[in-house]
Amino acid sequence: MFLTRSDYDRGVNTFSPEGRLFQVEYAIEAIKLGSTAIGIETSEGVVLAVEKRVTSSLLVADSIEKILEIDTHLGCAMSGLTADSRTLIDHARVEAQNHHFTYNERIPVESVTQAVCDLALRFGEGAEGEKSIMSRPFGVALLIAGCDERGPQLYHTDPSGTYVRYKAKAIGAGSEGAQTELQEEYFQTMTLNDGFKLALKVLKQVMEEKLNVSNIQVAAVTSQDGYHILSEEKLQSIVEQL
Amino acid sequence: MDMLATNPAVHPTSTAKQAAFSPYADHGGTNLAIAGADYCILASDTRQSSGYNINTRFAPKTFKLSDKSVLATAGCQPDCNMVVTRVKHSMKGYKYTHNKEMSTPAIAQMLSIMLYQKRFFPYYDFNILGGLDEEGKGCVFCYDAVGSYERVPCNAYGSASALIQPFLDNQVRNKNQQGKEKVTEFDPVARLSIDEAMRIVKDAFTSATERDIYTGDFLQIFIVTSAGVEEQLHPLKRD
Amino acid sequence: MSARIDQTATGFDFGLAKRNASLEASGVKAPNATKTGTTIVGLIFKDGLVLGADTRATAGSIVADKNCEKIHYIAPNMYCCGAGTAADTEYTTNMISSQMALHNMSTGRESRVVTAMTLLKQYLFRYQGHISAALVLGGYDVTGPHLYTIYPHGSTDKLPYVTMGSGSLAAMSVFESRWRPDMERQEAIDMVKDAIEAGIFNDLGSGSNVDVCVIEKGKVDYLRNYAKPNERVQKEQSYKFARGTTAVIKTSIRDLVTVTEDTAMDITA
Repeated sequence: MFLTRSDYDRGVNTFSPEGRLFQVEYAIEAIKLGSTAIGIETSEGVVLAVEKRVTSSLLVADSIEKILEIDTHLGCAMSGLTADSRTLIDHARVEAQNHHFTYNERIPVESVTQAVCDLALRFGEGAEGEKSIMSRPFGVALLIAGCDERGPQLYHTDPSGTYVRYKAKAIGAGSEGAQTELQEEYFQTMTLNDGFKLALKVLKQVMEEKLNVSNIQVAAVTSQDGYHILSEEKLQSIVEQL
Repeated sequence: MDMLATNPAVHPTSTAKQAAFSPYADHGGTNLAIAGADYCILASDTRQSSGYNINTRFAPKTFKLSDKSVLATAGCQPDCNMVVTRVKHSMKGYKYTHNKEMSTPAIAQMLSIMLYQKRFFPYYDFNILGGLDEEGKGCVFCYDAVGSYERVPCNAYGSASALIQPFLDNQVRNKNQQGKEKVTEFDPVARLSIDEAMRIVKDAFTSATERDIYTGDFLQIFIVTSAGVEEQLHPLKRD
Repeated sequence: MSARIDQTATGFDFGLAKRNASLEASGVKAPNATKTGTTIVGLIFKDGLVLGADTRATAGSIVADKNCEKIHYIAPNMYCCGAGTAADTEYTTNMISSQMALHNMSTGRESRVVTAMTLLKQYLFRYQGHISAALVLGGYDVTGPHLYTIYPHGSTDKLPYVTMGSGSLAAMSVFESRWRPDMERQEAIDMVKDAIEAGIFNDLGSGSNVDVCVIEKGKVDYLRNYAKPNERVQKEQSYKFARGTTAVIKTSIRDLVTVTEDTAMDITA
């Protein structure tokens, strides 16, 4: 199957005769190798939950960071080549600060998502031969969570630069099963705590290791408190509710 | 004798002159703004002058930016015009990228940056931005030419500002009036009703027209409420 | 010794001018004078002449006086409109008026306009333009009606219709389009009024009301505020303050005399 593509999958910005950009598609595939990340939008705020793959007992679990702050009202979970996310998140942080500096207000969630996606296709050679930043597409997908005057919102971005708003979304290795589960369990009137419970419940099902407070990371973005990572005690209390 | 005729430095009729670049002009005129609890009033005269000449009796220098914001400019007409054009342009761009109208405090911050970007070749333009903030409260922001700005309950800029500002301080902010509540920029208590504020605005301008030669002809008033921006035009003395 | 001779070589002592220049260079500001950025006019008609003036006096961009008098008395048959520094026009016309009165008494004849004109131009020329008085002089004497303009440097014109001051161009536009010889009295007054109003409305240095002075043989009509095209509209509200608005910061009452208790004086008898 892959053999037939070989002529067109080398150039990062060459379409195949069927109209496909293989490198971008491969990048999207790369995300399916990543750890699972889940985002759930509730009326009270957005939940982000990720699994940490603690592959060795010598590994310090705290050093794995897969949920990051973009601004006080914006958080982001990732899956895939997490190193690639640095460029995207740095860009998002700069955009958020620029917006605050220029307009003295928080950047809207959709705007910061768009700003991140603007970077996604800046690979290969530029049209006028100018140096581009990257040689290949990003191998990472993001779940961007935030609260603005339109309320709590969750966006999903992928290496093609497409972004879509979701009520609940799972990415990474366990995404297929997790998404089906979310589909079944999600309901409109969820509280933030319902969101925490659902996220952990789904994560528990798709994780290979047994879920505990040190191999997951959970964050929430609410209108009141903005972005915050949940403490271990708080996590423990949710795990106990499962 | 020969020296005298050929050396320009000594020649009595050919003295060296420094060519001066003067890109600024003052076109006079006065602006005023009052922020109420749930409204904002901006007012300007429409006279544009150069020296002792009237260029035109009707040159509006206050512009509606949105249903919630109005910008009043005074100083050098082309500079004022440029600032208004650029603010409107940016607001359009903002609307396209963020899918919403820019709020008055957001315009306020952006305008400040716009002015500061020309710190060493400033726009000769004194702005007052007025309207409603995100909470629906009346707000007035006043600027210097290089972008320093402040939220105030009321303000007057332009050729008659020195005549009007003390009057506003006394009548709107209740300054130097013992037994009357002081008015601050965010606090809506002790604020005037629209009718009271309109009377003060009209009296400020008819009085300024009496004593400031650059103020007169017409009074343009913008009233910003949650219903939108209402515009009025009243005659002033033309001498 | 030679320096002393040099200094007085021109016959004038400019020592104070030099002192003022040096003071100004070191940052001392000269006091501001009230100027009458003005419209003043005059024209000759069939039986005499009409003078006109606006009534605005300015100090920079501020209106210092809304209804000042710019048509000055020189002699019973002669008046003079003044533009420029208010003090200069006032002082100059007053002084010439005095001289005309003395001249009239010593000669026993009615003053001639040319006499006043000559005195004025000689006085202004002596000060080389430093006295900012631009004048329109008009009067009716034994030789008929005369109308002069006198410039601050001392030059004069004798013309059938003249304008002066910052509004002179606006006013002259009226005269140039409408003036003709041997006009009737009312027509002349109306034209002067229109010329002054052109200045009032189109020149920022001029404003408020129109003063007119009609001088005919043996008769003068000084029409103060002949037209008032700029009445102030009524204010929207009263600005009377309630009693007690002004804060009393400190009260201190002292006795000027000390009253000591003593036995009262007997006033019964």
